[in-house]
Amino acid sequence: MAVSVADLRALLEEAGVKPELARSLDPAAPLLRQGVDSVDFPAFCALLEERCALALDEEAVLKLRTLEDFARFLGEASCK
Amino acid sequence: MSEHANIAARLLNRNRNRCPHKAAYLCGDDTLTHLALAAEAARFANLLRGRGVMPGDRVLLVLPDSFAAVKAFLGTMLLSACPTPVSTLLSAEEYAFVLADSGARALICAEESPALDAARAVPGVDCVLPCGLDGPWGLADFSTGFEAAPPSPDGPGFMLYSSGSTGRPKGVPHAQADLLVPGKGWGGLVLGVRADDVIFSASKLSFAYGLESSVSLPLDAGATAVLMPGKPGPYELFETIARHRPSLFFCVPTLYSMLLRAYEPNAAETDLSSVRLCFSAGEALPEGLCRQWTRATGVEILDGIGSTEACNVFISNRPGQALCGSSGQVVPGYEARLVDDDGEGVSDGTPGNLHVRGEGICSAYWNRPGKTAETMLADGWLATGDVYVRDKGFYFHKGRSDDMLKIGAHWVSPVQVEEALREHPAVLDCAVAALAVEGLVRPCAHVVPRPGFEAGPKLAAELLRFARRSLPPPQCPVRVVLVDELPKTATGKVQRFRLRQL
Repeated sequence: MAVSVADLRALLEEAGVKPELARSLDPAAPLLRQGVDSVDFPAFCALLEERCALALDEEAVLKLRTLEDFARFLGEASCK
Repeated sequence: MSEHANIAARLLNRNRNRCPHKAAYLCGDDTLTHLALAAEAARFANLLRGRGVMPGDRVLLVLPDSFAAVKAFLGTMLLSACPTPVSTLLSAEEYAFVLADSGARALICAEESPALDAARAVPGVDCVLPCGLDGPWGLADFSTGFEAAPPSPDGPGFMLYSSGSTGRPKGVPHAQADLLVPGKGWGGLVLGVRADDVIFSASKLSFAYGLESSVSLPLDAGATAVLMPGKPGPYELFETIARHRPSLFFCVPTLYSMLLRAYEPNAAETDLSSVRLCFSAGEALPEGLCRQWTRATGVEILDGIGSTEACNVFISNRPGQALCGSSGQVVPGYEARLVDDDGEGVSDGTPGNLHVRGEGICSAYWNRPGKTAETMLADGWLATGDVYVRDKGFYFHKGRSDDMLKIGAHWVSPVQVEEALREHPAVLDCAVAALAVEGLVRPCAHVVPRPGFEAGPKLAAELLRFARRSLPPPQCPVRVVLVDELPKTATGKVQRFRLRQL
Protein backbone atom coordinates (compact mmCIF):
# COMPACT_ATOMS: atom_id res chain seq x y z
CA MET A 1 0.00 0.00 0.00
CA ALA A 2 1.40 3.35 -1.03
CA VAL A 3 2.45 5.88 1.57
CA SER A 4 2.26 9.49 0.51
CA VAL A 5 4.61 12.30 1.42
CA ALA A 6 1.68 13.90 3.22
CA ASP A 7 1.30 10.76 5.36
CA LEU A 8 4.99 10.95 6.21
CA ARG A 9 4.74 14.62 7.17
CA ALA A 10 1.93 13.70 9.55
CA LEU A 11 4.04 10.89 11.00
CA LEU A 12 6.96 13.27 11.49
CA GLU A 13 4.71 15.58 13.49
CA GLU A 14 3.47 12.65 15.50
CA ALA A 15 7.10 11.69 16.15
CA GLY A 16 7.60 15.03 17.84
CA VAL A 17 9.10 17.00 14.96
CA LYS A 18 8.01 20.64 15.03
CA PRO A 19 4.92 20.96 12.81
CA GLU A 20 6.31 23.95 10.91
CA LEU A 21 9.45 21.95 10.07
CA ALA A 22 7.52 18.83 9.05
CA ARG A 23 5.25 20.86 6.74
CA SER A 24 8.09 22.79 5.10
CA LEU A 25 10.31 19.82 4.21
CA ASP A 26 11.32 19.46 0.57
CA PRO A 27 10.47 15.80 -0.14
CA ALA A 28 13.36 15.45 -2.60
CA ALA A 29 16.07 16.93 -0.35
CA PRO A 30 18.01 15.16 2.42
CA LEU A 31 16.16 15.42 5.73
CA LEU A 32 19.40 16.06 7.62
CA ARG A 33 20.04 19.11 5.44
CA GLN A 34 16.70 20.58 6.45
CA GLY A 35 16.93 20.54 10.22
CA VAL A 36 15.79 16.99 11.01
CA ASP A 37 18.23 16.06 13.77
CA SER A 38 19.66 13.16 15.76
CA VAL A 39 16.49 12.89 17.86
CA ASP A 40 13.96 13.43 15.06
CA PHE A 41 15.40 10.75 12.80
CA PRO A 42 15.20 7.79 15.21
CA ALA A 43 11.85 9.03 16.52
CA PHE A 44 10.52 8.98 12.96
CA CYS A 45 12.00 5.52 12.28
CA ALA A 46 10.62 4.12 15.56
CA LEU A 47 7.14 5.38 14.72
CA LEU A 48 7.34 3.97 11.19
CA GLU A 49 8.27 0.57 12.59
CA GLU A 50 5.29 0.69 14.95
CA ARG A 51 2.76 1.95 12.40
CA CYS A 52 3.92 -0.22 9.56
CA ALA A 53 4.41 -3.24 11.81
CA LEU A 54 7.77 -3.91 10.29
CA ALA A 55 11.33 -4.12 11.47
CA LEU A 56 13.33 -1.70 9.36
CA ASP A 57 16.40 -3.37 7.97
CA GLU A 58 19.37 -1.62 9.57
CA GLU A 59 21.43 -1.42 6.42
CA ALA A 60 18.57 -0.57 4.08
CA VAL A 61 17.21 2.23 6.22
CA LEU A 62 20.63 3.91 6.36
CA LYS A 63 20.24 4.63 2.65
CA LEU A 64 16.98 6.54 3.13
CA ARG A 65 17.68 10.26 3.13
CA THR A 66 14.63 12.04 1.77
CA LEU A 67 10.90 11.81 2.31
CA GLU A 68 10.63 10.47 -1.23
CA ASP A 69 13.15 7.74 -0.35
CA PHE A 70 11.01 6.74 2.63
CA ALA A 71 7.78 6.81 0.60
CA ARG A 72 9.29 4.58 -2.07
CA PHE A 73 10.81 2.19 0.48
CA LEU A 74 7.61 1.88 2.50
CA GLY A 75 5.54 1.41 -0.63
CA GLU A 76 7.63 -1.60 -1.49
CA ALA A 77 7.54 -2.81 2.14
CA SER A 78 3.71 -2.66 2.20
CA CYS A 79 3.18 -0.29 5.06
CA LYS A 80 -0.38 -0.54 6.29
CA MET B 1 60.37 24.49 32.23
CA SER B 2 61.91 21.45 33.91
CA GLU B 3 60.22 18.07 33.79
CA HIS B 4 60.27 16.50 37.25
CA ALA B 5 57.52 13.92 36.92
CA ASN B 6 54.98 16.37 35.58
CA ILE B 7 53.31 14.63 32.64
CA ALA B 8 52.21 17.84 30.89
CA ALA B 9 55.80 19.11 31.05
CA ARG B 10 57.09 15.82 29.73
CA LEU B 11 54.74 15.80 26.73
CA LEU B 12 55.14 19.49 25.95
CA ASN B 13 58.94 19.49 26.27
CA ARG B 14 59.37 16.39 24.17
CA ASN B 15 57.29 17.73 21.29
CA ARG B 16 58.78 21.21 21.56
CA ASN B 17 62.24 19.66 21.16
CA ARG B 18 61.50 17.15 18.43
CA CYS B 19 59.00 19.02 16.25
CA PRO B 20 58.72 22.66 17.42
CA HIS B 21 57.28 24.11 14.22
CA LYS B 22 54.88 21.32 13.43
CA ALA B 23 51.18 21.89 14.06
CA ALA B 24 50.07 20.46 17.38
CA TYR B 25 46.50 21.65 16.82
CA LEU B 26 44.45 22.93 13.93
CA CYS B 27 41.24 24.85 14.50
CA GLY B 28 39.39 26.59 11.67
CA ASP B 29 42.04 28.56 9.77
CA ASP B 30 44.44 28.69 12.70
CA THR B 31 47.45 26.60 13.66
CA LEU B 32 49.04 26.15 17.08
CA THR B 33 52.55 24.68 16.82
CA HIS B 34 54.08 22.44 19.46
CA LEU B 35 56.45 25.29 20.31
CA ALA B 36 53.57 27.73 20.78
CA LEU B 37 51.55 25.16 22.73
CA ALA B 38 54.38 24.71 25.24
CA ALA B 39 54.74 28.48 25.62
CA GLU B 40 51.02 29.13 25.96
CA ALA B 41 50.50 26.32 28.48
CA ALA B 42 53.31 27.83 30.58
CA ARG B 43 51.62 31.23 30.35
CA PHE B 44 48.38 29.64 31.52
CA ALA B 45 50.15 28.07 34.49
CA ASN B 46 51.66 31.45 35.42
CA LEU B 47 48.29 33.14 35.07
CA LEU B 48 46.57 30.61 37.33
CA ARG B 49 49.33 30.78 39.92
CA GLY B 50 49.06 34.56 39.83
CA ARG B 51 45.34 34.24 40.55
CA GLY B 52 45.99 32.12 43.63
CA VAL B 53 45.45 28.62 42.20
CA MET B 54 47.65 26.11 44.03
CA PRO B 55 48.80 22.53 43.27
CA GLY B 56 45.95 20.13 43.99
CA ASP B 57 43.21 22.73 43.40
CA ARG B 58 40.46 21.69 41.02
CA VAL B 59 40.06 23.97 38.00
CA LEU B 60 36.77 23.50 36.17
CA LEU B 61 37.14 23.96 32.41
CA VAL B 62 33.91 24.69 30.55
CA LEU B 63 35.35 25.31 27.12
CA PRO B 64 34.53 24.25 23.57
CA ASP B 65 37.21 22.19 21.81
CA SER B 66 39.65 24.99 21.02
CA PHE B 67 43.23 26.13 21.51
CA ALA B 68 42.11 27.64 24.82
CA ALA B 69 40.86 24.25 26.03
CA VAL B 70 44.18 22.44 25.46
CA LYS B 71 46.24 25.37 26.75
CA ALA B 72 44.11 25.52 29.91
CA PHE B 73 44.16 21.75 30.43
CA LEU B 74 47.92 21.46 30.05
CA GLY B 75 48.67 24.73 31.86
CA THR B 76 46.63 23.58 34.85
CA MET B 77 48.52 20.29 34.82
CA LEU B 78 51.89 22.11 34.68
CA LEU B 79 50.90 23.77 37.94
CA SER B 80 49.88 20.33 39.23
CA ALA B 81 46.43 21.66 39.85
CA CYS B 82 43.62 19.39 38.63
CA PRO B 83 42.04 20.28 35.28
CA THR B 84 38.41 19.15 35.29
CA PRO B 85 36.90 19.58 31.82
CA VAL B 86 33.12 19.35 31.64
CA SER B 87 30.65 19.71 28.80
CA THR B 88 29.65 23.17 27.61
CA LEU B 89 26.04 21.99 27.38
CA LEU B 90 25.16 21.69 31.07
CA SER B 91 22.61 23.87 32.84
CA ALA B 92 23.51 26.47 35.49
CA GLU B 93 22.18 24.09 38.12
CA GLU B 94 24.41 21.27 36.86
CA TYR B 95 27.45 23.56 36.82
CA ALA B 96 26.69 24.62 40.40
CA PHE B 97 26.57 20.96 41.39
CA VAL B 98 29.87 20.09 39.70
CA LEU B 99 31.61 23.20 41.06
CA ALA B 100 30.50 22.34 44.59
CA ASP B 101 31.07 18.60 44.27
CA SER B 102 34.60 18.99 42.93
CA GLY B 103 35.39 21.76 45.42
CA ALA B 104 36.65 23.80 42.50
CA ARG B 105 38.94 26.72 43.26
CA ALA B 106 38.76 28.12 39.75
CA LEU B 107 36.44 28.22 36.76
CA ILE B 108 37.52 28.89 33.21
CA CYS B 109 34.64 29.23 30.78
CA ALA B 110 33.27 31.13 27.80
CA GLU B 111 31.89 34.60 28.53
CA GLU B 112 28.32 33.57 27.80
CA SER B 113 28.42 30.28 29.76
CA PRO B 114 25.75 29.67 32.44
CA ALA B 115 28.66 28.39 34.56
CA LEU B 116 29.53 32.03 35.31
CA ASP B 117 26.25 32.60 37.11
CA ALA B 118 26.52 29.25 38.83
CA ALA B 119 29.97 30.07 40.20
CA ARG B 120 28.66 33.16 42.03
CA ALA B 121 26.49 30.96 44.22
CA VAL B 122 29.17 28.38 45.05
CA PRO B 123 31.51 29.18 47.94
CA GLY B 124 35.22 28.64 47.36
CA VAL B 125 35.35 29.45 43.64
CA ASP B 126 37.87 32.27 44.05
CA CYS B 127 39.07 32.56 40.47
CA VAL B 128 36.65 32.98 37.58
CA LEU B 129 38.24 33.44 34.20
CA PRO B 130 36.11 34.22 31.12
CA CYS B 131 37.87 32.84 28.09
CA GLY B 132 37.71 33.07 24.28
CA LEU B 133 38.61 30.34 21.78
CA ASP B 134 42.31 31.30 21.92
CA GLY B 135 42.57 31.94 25.66
CA PRO B 136 41.65 34.51 28.27
CA TRP B 137 42.32 38.20 27.81
CA GLY B 138 45.83 39.16 28.98
CA LEU B 139 47.34 35.66 28.62
CA ALA B 140 50.12 37.01 26.39
CA ASP B 141 51.37 39.20 29.25
CA PHE B 142 52.53 36.20 31.22
CA SER B 143 55.94 34.55 30.98
CA THR B 144 56.51 31.50 28.78
CA GLY B 145 58.85 30.09 31.41
CA PHE B 146 57.39 27.92 34.12
CA GLU B 147 59.02 25.54 36.55
CA ALA B 148 56.54 22.66 36.41
CA ALA B 149 55.46 21.29 39.76
CA PRO B 150 55.60 17.55 40.44
CA PRO B 151 52.17 15.92 40.60
CA SER B 152 50.40 16.56 43.87
CA PRO B 153 50.54 13.35 45.96
CA ASP B 154 47.27 14.19 47.70
CA GLY B 155 45.07 15.14 44.78
CA PRO B 156 44.08 13.89 41.33
CA GLY B 157 46.12 14.82 38.26
CA PHE B 158 42.96 15.48 36.27
CA MET B 159 39.31 14.65 36.67
CA LEU B 160 36.35 13.94 34.42
CA TYR B 161 32.67 13.81 35.26
CA SER B 162 30.45 10.91 34.26
CA SER B 163 26.68 10.69 34.65
CA GLY B 164 25.48 8.67 37.60
CA SER B 165 22.47 6.38 37.87
CA THR B 166 20.67 8.90 40.09
CA GLY B 167 21.19 11.59 37.49
CA ARG B 168 23.91 13.38 39.45
CA PRO B 169 27.30 13.19 37.75
CA LYS B 170 30.22 11.67 39.62
CA GLY B 171 33.84 12.77 39.54
CA VAL B 172 36.32 10.28 38.08
CA PRO B 173 39.80 11.30 39.24
CA HIS B 174 42.92 10.19 37.44
CA ALA B 175 46.63 10.44 38.09
CA GLN B 176 48.55 12.64 35.63
CA ALA B 177 50.36 9.56 34.31
CA ASP B 178 47.02 8.02 33.24
CA LEU B 179 47.06 10.48 30.34
CA LEU B 180 49.93 8.50 28.84
CA VAL B 181 48.22 5.11 28.93
CA PRO B 182 46.03 5.44 25.77
CA GLY B 183 49.15 6.06 23.69
CA LYS B 184 50.63 2.71 24.66
CA GLY B 185 48.47 -0.35 23.90
CA TRP B 186 45.47 1.18 22.15
CA GLY B 187 47.11 4.07 20.32
CA GLY B 188 50.52 2.52 19.72
CA LEU B 189 49.94 -1.20 19.26
CA VAL B 190 46.33 -1.34 18.04
CA LEU B 191 45.85 1.83 15.98
CA GLY B 192 49.51 2.41 15.17
CA VAL B 193 49.27 6.18 15.69
CA ARG B 194 52.26 7.87 14.06
CA ALA B 195 53.85 11.30 14.21
CA ASP B 196 52.57 12.07 10.71
CA ASP B 197 48.96 11.32 11.65
CA VAL B 198 46.34 14.04 11.72
CA ILE B 199 43.72 13.08 14.30
CA PHE B 200 40.17 14.38 14.39
CA SER B 201 37.69 13.48 17.10
CA ALA B 202 34.02 14.40 16.88
CA SER B 203 33.73 13.56 20.56
CA LYS B 204 34.57 16.57 22.71
CA LEU B 205 37.54 16.56 25.05
CA SER B 206 35.35 16.97 28.11
CA PHE B 207 34.57 13.27 27.52
CA ALA B 208 37.19 10.61 28.16
CA TYR B 209 36.99 9.39 24.54
CA GLY B 210 37.59 12.92 23.25
CA LEU B 211 40.38 13.61 25.74
CA GLU B 212 42.10 10.38 24.75
CA SER B 213 41.88 11.04 21.02
CA SER B 214 42.43 14.83 21.02
CA VAL B 215 45.08 15.09 23.76
CA SER B 216 46.62 11.74 24.79
CA LEU B 217 47.15 10.17 21.38
CA PRO B 218 48.41 13.20 19.41
CA LEU B 219 50.69 14.52 22.15
CA ASP B 220 52.10 11.09 22.87
CA ALA B 221 52.92 10.50 19.20
CA GLY B 222 53.94 14.09 18.42
CA ALA B 223 51.13 14.16 15.87
CA THR B 224 48.60 16.84 14.94
CA ALA B 225 45.01 17.05 16.14
CA VAL B 226 42.05 18.94 14.71
CA LEU B 227 39.74 20.78 17.09
CA MET B 228 36.19 21.70 16.20
CA PRO B 229 34.52 24.09 18.65
CA GLY B 230 30.98 23.83 17.28
CA LYS B 231 28.23 21.24 17.34
CA PRO B 232 29.36 18.16 15.41
CA GLY B 233 26.56 17.79 12.88
CA PRO B 234 27.21 15.52 9.88
CA TYR B 235 27.75 18.31 7.35
CA GLU B 236 29.98 20.27 9.74
CA LEU B 237 32.07 17.16 10.35
CA PHE B 238 32.48 16.52 6.62
CA GLU B 239 33.46 20.16 6.11
CA THR B 240 36.15 19.88 8.79
CA ILE B 241 37.41 16.60 7.33
CA ALA B 242 37.60 18.12 3.84
CA ARG B 243 39.47 21.14 5.19
CA HIS B 244 42.03 19.45 7.44
CA ARG B 245 42.26 16.01 5.81
CA PRO B 246 42.71 13.90 8.96
CA SER B 247 44.17 10.39 8.70
CA LEU B 248 42.41 9.08 11.84
CA PHE B 249 38.80 9.89 12.62
CA PHE B 250 37.16 9.18 15.98
CA CYS B 251 33.40 9.36 16.27
CA VAL B 252 30.35 7.69 17.82
CA PRO B 253 27.78 5.39 16.16
CA THR B 254 24.92 7.91 16.33
CA LEU B 255 26.99 10.34 14.30
CA TYR B 256 28.35 7.67 11.96
CA SER B 257 24.76 6.83 11.01
CA MET B 258 24.08 10.51 10.27
CA LEU B 259 27.37 10.86 8.36
CA LEU B 260 26.45 7.87 6.25
CA ARG B 261 23.12 9.46 5.35
CA ALA B 262 24.94 12.63 4.34
CA TYR B 263 27.72 10.83 2.45
CA GLU B 264 27.89 11.30 -1.33
CA PRO B 265 30.37 9.04 -3.14
CA ASN B 266 32.93 11.03 -5.15
CA ALA B 267 31.70 14.39 -3.85
CA ALA B 268 34.38 16.84 -2.70
CA GLU B 269 32.17 17.93 0.22
CA THR B 270 32.17 14.44 1.73
CA ASP B 271 35.68 13.40 0.71
CA LEU B 272 37.16 10.81 3.07
CA SER B 273 40.23 9.98 0.98
CA SER B 274 42.61 11.26 3.67
CA VAL B 275 41.20 8.94 6.35
CA ARG B 276 43.09 5.67 6.78
CA LEU B 277 41.01 4.51 9.74
CA CYS B 278 37.74 5.35 11.46
CA PHE B 279 37.24 4.47 15.10
CA SER B 280 33.93 4.12 16.91
CA ALA B 281 33.27 4.03 20.65
CA GLY B 282 30.86 5.51 23.15
CA GLU B 283 28.10 3.00 22.39
CA ALA B 284 28.08 -0.33 20.59
CA LEU B 285 28.44 0.02 16.82
CA PRO B 286 25.58 -1.86 15.15
CA GLU B 287 26.73 -4.58 12.81
CA GLY B 288 24.69 -3.20 9.90
CA LEU B 289 26.09 0.30 10.30
CA CYS B 290 29.63 -1.08 10.47
CA ARG B 291 29.15 -3.04 7.24
CA GLN B 292 27.33 -0.29 5.41
CA TRP B 293 29.93 2.32 6.39
CA THR B 294 32.80 0.25 5.08
CA ARG B 295 30.90 -0.68 1.92
CA ALA B 296 29.82 2.89 1.12
CA THR B 297 32.97 4.81 2.05
CA GLY B 298 35.67 2.20 1.56
CA VAL B 299 37.21 3.22 4.90
CA GLU B 300 37.61 0.61 7.59
CA ILE B 301 35.76 1.30 10.83
CA LEU B 302 36.89 -0.22 14.12
CA ASP B 303 34.58 -0.55 17.09
CA GLY B 304 35.87 -0.53 20.64
CA ILE B 305 34.81 0.04 24.21
CA GLY B 306 36.42 2.06 26.94
CA SER B 307 35.24 4.08 29.88
CA THR B 308 35.79 7.25 31.83
CA GLU B 309 37.09 5.15 34.70
CA ALA B 310 39.79 3.67 32.47
CA CYS B 311 40.26 6.88 30.46
CA ASN B 312 41.13 4.53 27.65
CA VAL B 313 39.77 1.93 25.26
CA PHE B 314 40.28 -1.56 26.70
CA ILE B 315 38.62 -3.74 24.05
CA SER B 316 39.10 -2.89 20.41
CA ASN B 317 39.05 -4.27 16.92
CA ARG B 318 42.34 -4.31 15.02
CA PRO B 319 43.03 -2.73 11.62
CA GLY B 320 42.63 -5.31 8.89
CA GLN B 321 40.87 -7.76 11.22
CA ALA B 322 37.71 -5.89 12.17
CA LEU B 323 34.71 -8.03 13.00
CA CYS B 324 31.49 -6.05 12.54
CA GLY B 325 29.08 -6.57 15.45
CA SER B 326 31.93 -7.12 17.90
CA SER B 327 33.74 -4.63 20.14
CA GLY B 328 36.92 -6.54 19.29
CA GLN B 329 39.63 -8.12 21.41
CA VAL B 330 41.29 -7.11 24.65
CA VAL B 331 43.80 -4.28 24.19
CA PRO B 332 47.39 -5.06 25.24
CA GLY B 333 47.91 -3.92 28.83
CA TYR B 334 44.43 -5.00 29.97
CA GLU B 335 42.85 -8.16 31.27
CA ALA B 336 39.14 -8.83 30.88
CA ARG B 337 36.85 -11.37 32.52
CA LEU B 338 33.16 -12.19 32.19
CA VAL B 339 31.38 -13.21 35.37
CA ASP B 340 27.85 -14.11 36.40
CA ASP B 341 25.95 -12.22 39.12
CA ASP B 342 27.71 -14.33 41.78
CA GLY B 343 31.12 -13.36 40.46
CA GLU B 344 31.85 -16.75 38.89
CA GLY B 345 33.51 -16.82 35.48
CA VAL B 346 31.33 -17.78 32.51
CA SER B 347 32.39 -19.79 29.50
CA ASP B 348 32.52 -18.62 25.89
CA GLY B 349 29.06 -18.07 24.47
CA THR B 350 27.46 -17.28 27.84
CA PRO B 351 26.60 -13.66 28.67
CA GLY B 352 28.54 -12.27 31.60
CA ASN B 353 29.31 -8.98 33.35
CA LEU B 354 32.46 -7.43 31.95
CA HIS B 355 35.25 -6.67 34.42
CA VAL B 356 38.57 -5.20 33.27
CA ARG B 357 41.83 -4.33 34.92
CA GLY B 358 45.00 -2.66 33.79
CA GLU B 359 47.12 0.42 34.07
CA GLY B 360 45.46 3.79 34.51
CA ILE B 361 42.06 2.72 35.84
CA CYS B 362 40.86 5.11 38.52
CA SER B 363 40.82 3.54 41.96
CA ALA B 364 37.93 5.52 43.50
CA TYR B 365 35.24 7.99 42.50
CA TRP B 366 35.45 11.48 43.91
CA ASN B 367 33.68 11.41 47.29
CA ARG B 368 31.45 8.44 46.36
CA PRO B 369 32.50 5.58 48.64
CA GLY B 370 29.31 3.60 48.03
CA LYS B 371 29.58 3.74 44.25
CA THR B 372 33.32 3.09 44.48
CA ALA B 373 32.72 -0.12 46.43
CA GLU B 374 30.21 -1.31 43.79
CA THR B 375 32.47 -0.56 40.83
CA MET B 376 36.12 -0.73 41.86
CA LEU B 377 36.52 -4.31 43.01
CA ALA B 378 39.25 -6.23 44.79
CA ASP B 379 42.54 -6.80 42.98
CA GLY B 380 42.08 -3.84 40.68
CA TRP B 381 39.07 -5.12 38.71
CA LEU B 382 36.63 -2.55 37.35
CA ALA B 383 32.98 -3.58 36.97
CA THR B 384 32.00 -1.88 33.71
CA GLY B 385 28.24 -2.52 33.99
CA ASP B 386 28.27 -3.95 30.46
CA VAL B 387 27.12 -7.42 29.59
CA TYR B 388 29.18 -9.24 26.97
CA VAL B 389 29.53 -12.58 25.27
CA ARG B 390 33.02 -13.77 24.33
CA ASP B 391 33.68 -15.98 21.35
CA LYS B 392 37.18 -16.95 20.20
CA GLY B 393 38.68 -13.88 21.88
CA PHE B 394 36.14 -11.42 20.42
CA TYR B 395 33.72 -9.62 22.71
CA PHE B 396 30.08 -8.97 21.70
CA HIS B 397 28.05 -6.35 23.55
CA LYS B 398 24.72 -7.61 24.89
CA GLY B 399 23.49 -4.64 26.89
CA ARG B 400 23.77 -3.20 30.37
CA SER B 401 23.43 -4.84 33.76
CA ASP B 402 21.85 -1.66 35.13
CA ASP B 403 19.23 0.81 33.86
CA MET B 404 21.75 3.29 32.42
CA LEU B 405 21.53 4.05 28.71
CA LYS B 406 24.49 4.98 26.53
CA ILE B 407 23.21 7.35 23.88
CA GLY B 408 25.72 8.81 21.43
CA ALA B 409 28.53 8.36 23.99
CA HIS B 410 26.51 10.16 26.70
CA TRP B 411 25.39 8.30 29.77
CA VAL B 412 21.70 8.86 30.27
CA SER B 413 20.04 8.06 33.55
CA PRO B 414 16.36 7.10 33.14
CA VAL B 415 15.73 8.98 36.40
CA GLN B 416 16.64 12.33 34.86
CA VAL B 417 14.34 11.82 31.88
CA GLU B 418 11.51 10.62 34.10
CA GLU B 419 11.87 13.64 36.39
CA ALA B 420 11.61 15.97 33.40
CA LEU B 421 8.53 14.19 32.01
CA ARG B 422 6.77 14.29 35.39
CA GLU B 423 6.77 18.08 35.10
CA HIS B 424 4.10 17.72 32.39
CA PRO B 425 0.57 17.92 33.83
CA ALA B 426 -0.59 14.89 31.82
CA VAL B 427 2.03 12.54 33.31
CA LEU B 428 0.87 10.58 36.32
CA ASP B 429 3.77 8.16 36.30
CA CYS B 430 6.48 7.14 33.86
CA ALA B 431 9.50 4.94 33.35
CA VAL B 432 12.21 5.22 30.74
CA ALA B 433 13.92 2.19 29.20
CA ALA B 434 16.01 1.30 26.19
CA LEU B 435 14.52 0.90 22.71
CA ALA B 436 16.60 -0.26 19.75
CA VAL B 437 16.20 1.90 16.64
CA GLU B 438 18.40 1.11 13.66
CA GLY B 439 20.49 -1.03 16.02
CA LEU B 440 21.21 1.88 18.39
CA VAL B 441 19.90 2.31 21.92
CA ARG B 442 17.43 5.18 22.39
CA PRO B 443 15.31 6.29 25.34
CA CYS B 444 11.67 5.25 25.22
CA ALA B 445 9.22 6.71 27.74
CA HIS B 446 6.42 4.54 29.08
CA VAL B 447 3.85 6.95 30.46
CA VAL B 448 0.73 6.48 32.56
CA PRO B 449 -1.49 9.47 31.70
CA ARG B 450 -3.26 11.36 34.45
CA PRO B 451 -7.07 10.86 34.45
CA GLY B 452 -8.73 13.45 32.24
CA PHE B 453 -6.02 13.36 29.57
CA GLU B 454 -6.80 11.35 26.47
CA ALA B 455 -4.24 8.62 25.80
CA GLY B 456 -3.64 9.00 22.08
CA PRO B 457 -1.07 9.99 19.45
CA LYS B 458 -1.61 13.69 20.16
CA LEU B 459 -0.59 13.33 23.77
CA ALA B 460 2.41 11.17 22.82
CA ALA B 461 3.58 13.81 20.33
CA GLU B 462 3.05 16.58 22.87
CA LEU B 463 5.18 14.71 25.43
CA LEU B 464 7.95 14.14 22.87
CA ARG B 465 8.02 17.86 22.07
CA PHE B 466 7.83 18.75 25.77
CA ALA B 467 10.90 16.59 26.45
CA ARG B 468 12.79 18.25 23.61
CA ARG B 469 12.16 21.66 25.12
CA SER B 470 13.50 20.64 28.52
CA LEU B 471 16.21 18.02 27.94
CA PRO B 472 19.49 17.86 25.99
CA PRO B 473 19.25 15.73 22.80
CA PRO B 474 20.73 12.46 24.13
CA GLN B 475 18.14 12.39 26.93
CA CYS B 476 15.13 13.04 24.70
CA PRO B 477 12.83 10.03 24.33
CA VAL B 478 12.31 9.04 20.71
CA ARG B 479 9.05 7.34 21.52
CA VAL B 480 6.29 7.62 24.10
CA VAL B 481 4.23 4.54 24.87
CA LEU B 482 1.05 5.29 26.79
CA VAL B 483 0.19 2.54 29.26
CA ASP B 484 -2.33 1.87 32.03
CA GLU B 485 0.30 0.87 34.56
CA LEU B 486 4.03 0.24 34.91
CA PRO B 487 5.58 -3.08 35.91
CA LYS B 488 6.62 -2.81 39.55
CA THR B 489 8.05 -4.97 42.31
CA ALA B 490 6.03 -5.80 45.39
CA THR B 491 7.70 -2.84 47.09
CA GLY B 492 6.63 -0.50 44.30
CA LYS B 493 9.96 -0.14 42.50
CA VAL B 494 9.63 0.20 38.74
CA GLN B 495 11.10 -2.76 36.83
CA ARG B 496 12.61 -0.92 33.91
CA PHE B 497 14.29 -4.06 32.59
CA ARG B 498 10.84 -5.41 31.72
CA LEU B 499 10.27 -2.42 29.46
CA ARG B 500 13.46 -2.79 27.43
CA GLN B 501 12.91 -3.40 23.71
CA LEU B 502 16.30 -4.42 22.35
